[in-house]
Amino acid sequence: MPVKICILRIEGTNCELETFLSFKRLGAAAAAEIVHLKQLIGAVKEREKRNLKDYDLLVIPGGFSSGDYIRAGAILAARIKGALGKEIVDFVRTGNPILGICNGFQVLVEMGLLPGFGAAHEEIEMQQAALTTNDSARFECRPAFIKHENRGNCVFTRGIEKGRILKMPCAHAEGKFFIDERNRETYIQLLEENDQIVFRYVGPDGNYASYPWNPNGSIYNIAGICSPEGNILGLMPHPERAFYAFMDPEWSRSARGRGKDGEKEKGDAYGDGDGKKIFEAVLNYLRL
Amino acid sequence: MKRFEVRIMDADDEELKRISEIMGLSLNLDEMRRLKRYFVSKNREPTDVELQSIAQAWSEHCCYKSSKKVLQEFVFGIEAPQNMLVIKEDAGVLEFDEEHAYVLAFESHNHPSAIEPYGGAATGIGGIVRDVICMGAQPIALVDPLFFGHLDYPDEKLPETVKHPRFLFNGVVAGISDYGNRIGIPTCAGMVYFDEGYVGNCVVNVGCVGIMKKSDLSRSMAKSGEVLVLVGGKTGRDGIHGVTFASVELTGEEEFRSAVQLGDPIRKEPLMHAILEANEKRLISGMKDLGGGGLSCAVSEMCHAGGCGAEIQLENVKLKEEGLSAWEIWVSESQERFLIAVEPEKVEELLAIFEKWDVDAVVVGEGKAYPHREKKIRIFHDGEKIFELDTDFLVSCPVYERSIEIRKKEEEGLEEIEEPADYNETLKLLLASPNIASRECVIRQYDHEVRASTVIKPLQGLIGKETHGDAAVIKPLESSYKGIAITTDVNPSFCKTNPFWGAASVVDEVCRNLTAVGAVPHAFADCLNFGNPEKPDRMGDFHECCRGLGYMASSLGIPFVSGNVSFYNESAAMNESIPPTPTILGVGICEDIRECVTVDVKEVSNFLYLVGETKKELGGSEYYKLRSVEGGIVPRTDPEVLRMRMDALREAMKAGLIASCHDVSEGGLAVAVCEMLIGGDIGASIDIAGVNPELRSDYKLFSESNSRWVVEVWKEEKRRFEVLFKERGVCISKIGETEDEKRVGICDGGKKLVSLSLEEVRSVWTGNIC
Repeated sequence: MPVKICILRIEGTNCELETFLSFKRLGAAAAAEIVHLKQLIGAVKEREKRNLKDYDLLVIPGGFSSGDYIRAGAILAARIKGALGKEIVDFVRTGNPILGICNGFQVLVEMGLLPGFGAAHEEIEMQQAALTTNDSARFECRPAFIKHENRGNCVFTRGIEKGRILKMPCAHAEGKFFIDERNRETYIQLLEENDQIVFRYVGPDGNYASYPWNPNGSIYNIAGICSPEGNILGLMPHPERAFYAFMDPEWSRSARGRGKDGEKEKGDAYGDGDGKKIFEAVLNYLRL
Repeated sequence: MKRFEVRIMDADDEELKRISEIMGLSLNLDEMRRLKRYFVSKNREPTDVELQSIAQAWSEHCCYKSSKKVLQEFVFGIEAPQNMLVIKEDAGVLEFDEEHAYVLAFESHNHPSAIEPYGGAATGIGGIVRDVICMGAQPIALVDPLFFGHLDYPDEKLPETVKHPRFLFNGVVAGISDYGNRIGIPTCAGMVYFDEGYVGNCVVNVGCVGIMKKSDLSRSMAKSGEVLVLVGGKTGRDGIHGVTFASVELTGEEEFRSAVQLGDPIRKEPLMHAILEANEKRLISGMKDLGGGGLSCAVSEMCHAGGCGAEIQLENVKLKEEGLSAWEIWVSESQERFLIAVEPEKVEELLAIFEKWDVDAVVVGEGKAYPHREKKIRIFHDGEKIFELDTDFLVSCPVYERSIEIRKKEEEGLEEIEEPADYNETLKLLLASPNIASRECVIRQYDHEVRASTVIKPLQGLIGKETHGDAAVIKPLESSYKGIAITTDVNPSFCKTNPFWGAASVVDEVCRNLTAVGAVPHAFADCLNFGNPEKPDRMGDFHECCRGLGYMASSLGIPFVSGNVSFYNESAAMNESIPPTPTILGVGICEDIRECVTVDVKEVSNFLYLVGETKKELGGSEYYKLRSVEGGIVPRTDPEVLRMRMDALREAMKAGLIASCHDVSEGGLAVAVCEMLIGGDIGASIDIAGVNPELRSDYKLFSESNSRWVVEVWKEEKRRFEVLFKERGVCISKIGETEDEKRVGICDGGKKLVSLSLEEVRSVWTGNIC
């Protein structure tokens, strides 16, 4: 059985195509499908209807779902909760993975699925954290270095060694991971204990650093977290924009485009980007 | 009230003028007289709907009545094998590879942005994206050259009706960021330019590039028997008289706010998907976006192109609010709308697609052949006929040959300025000057890599140390390494000092930028922003600029494929025109994106060379501005020389000799070198003794002569590089070496000029324009 991947789309999601291509390039083409929320809700013609439980992986891509006019991710989260709440809970309980990239991460946090402390015991948990306006108060499109800190819980990063630094771009106006002061210490401790911290922003030297390396002012430099069970990952940086080496902003510095005797070597531009690892890891997990 | 009759059959000249004014038609007396003759021949009075419709069709904005003759003489008609559909429609279509074409559109949104910067700029993006979609193409990149008064312009000098440059700048950037980011198209090139001449009338140009299968090309025409479907946003009172408002000088009156449309990117995004899906399924016979002039222009232009008339049921149009009069519905420029012509049997399937995407789509009429081959447009509103005009008359816009006055040529600055005593200080002032300093804070507010295909970014270099790139490169197809390089440029100071050579320099600079990343210049779109064409000196500038553009582009064989002309860029309050601003969007082709070259210096101990000749050409230069020198010789250019240099440079890049490359423009050689070093975070020792020995050091360093680049050559390729350029007959001079110490050192033979730490150079350049 091929792995079936549902890449969710509504008006304003705008990274679905490159996310789809990331799976397609790994040979998952037949199984990856861009699905409109209406198709899952059943508000379309019979032959276009889709059922969430037929899929093994749900991906909520980046973008500005429904314009993000209230708060990033809030509208889509409410629509999913309202129309698909039960299906999502069942989907997660069966252990199926969900990936939320950028706006998708915002949606998962708005839905209470992330950090999702205690979510296994209730329907869908209350919102416990937020992704709020960047400290710069501006949209920030810039490359980020993120350190992989997961100890093996997260199914999207198994196979990526702990401590490894990955490079991929951020592009958002509301990406500051925030927990209110009252709960901050407890929740950070929980995130650590449950092995829910997946990526943290660092500088080029690998040390935790502030702006611009932490592009939004996230507390604890958090760039990505997973659910306590490890099957839901949300991250602000865009792995689909770092699939190939030639998407890296510095690729031309390492690809010398020449070789001895004038023989052309295209060097690193041929290679892989860091984002690819995340797509590979989850496919490996699903195929096992 | 649906409509009323306007009495013009008996009107005298005074009354005709008054009618034009009261109804906001912006038509002159001759044009009003022509209208009168037409209706006298029909023996009836026109309705308000008819007059408004004609005013849209005959506006400067829609029909290029002042510019057409000049454009035809100089700019149009450059033949090139890549041309597929150029000049004729909303966007130019060019061959990309055997199976694919790319699409190019470029437009101004100046007056709306001067009144309401956020909305004006946002809808500028919306409009240009529609122009690309209506050819059947997927938009893949946006560009946005912007021009403002100085951000520190003193408040007390600002007339009451004029908005402060900082307010306009912030609003425009936020508008582009919010709209462009939401629709998911990367904004990957542009420029921000400051000059006192833009205080009363800022200039906001927006361009879009798209990609499509050749077989998906859709034309903007409707044929007899086809059904006309209006899709997308609802129609409202926003954007009434947008085009006529664009065709007069700015008065700063707030009443014009209603001429600015309201954008809705989240309506646009699914609309774009729905249209491209319907087009791919061959359900669309023809389409046009609703921009200037709204339905009025879309229906008449599509029918005219398809050789038919039309019958419209106006009550079918979905409205944002009740109580719109018929003429408002007909000319409203509400955003996010397209008119689609579809064969009757395919209507149902088409409507189903739009329903799936939650986008409104309604049948509003049909293309019609009337007896005796009459081509009429008839409009009914709840059964009542409110409009009947011959399409030929409607689109028969007047064409003028405006009188021109060509300003006298610039002269060499009579007073010789003194050589600066402190070159460190001079260079720092230049690096920090508003037209040179870093634009990072603007560029980062635009998502320049959504779609994951921006393979050469607008900011280049070591992460955290990036510098400005010359061009961005998009890899549009999943299965091919072929790339599209994109850049925009213009130097208004040059154009102000000498319009002909200023415009020629624009073409030179755009070609330089494209060559710097390794691309072959392939097509241009032009956005020509000028003052009031009824004033002969403004028209003279326009004429000379077009002549300069045509001279260069036709010699190089690179076609102008689309664009627009924006006149009347002057405000009553400031009593002056903007500097002539012929902005060019240039596209180049990269055979393999993995061979592209960036601006940032790569390694220590490599050699730096200047390609091209340096002359005492400082008219309009940033150095002369700094020294308060007016006049001077604007850089000249020779297309043949430019071509030879570009060819040699690309050959060297292909052979893998070049590590980095930057064109020399504002601030001259010194600034170009600094920008390269900033991006690589590597120092260099420069000796300019070999650069035109006849020139004084400051002229060598800061001249802005055309057709020049600085290149970094891999240390072991020095000989091959020198031999290649000698064989190609292209002048180069070795100017230095990159080195370990993070320092910029410049001397002229024995004379020490500059010694600055790289950190100091970066910090003054970084400045803070945001």
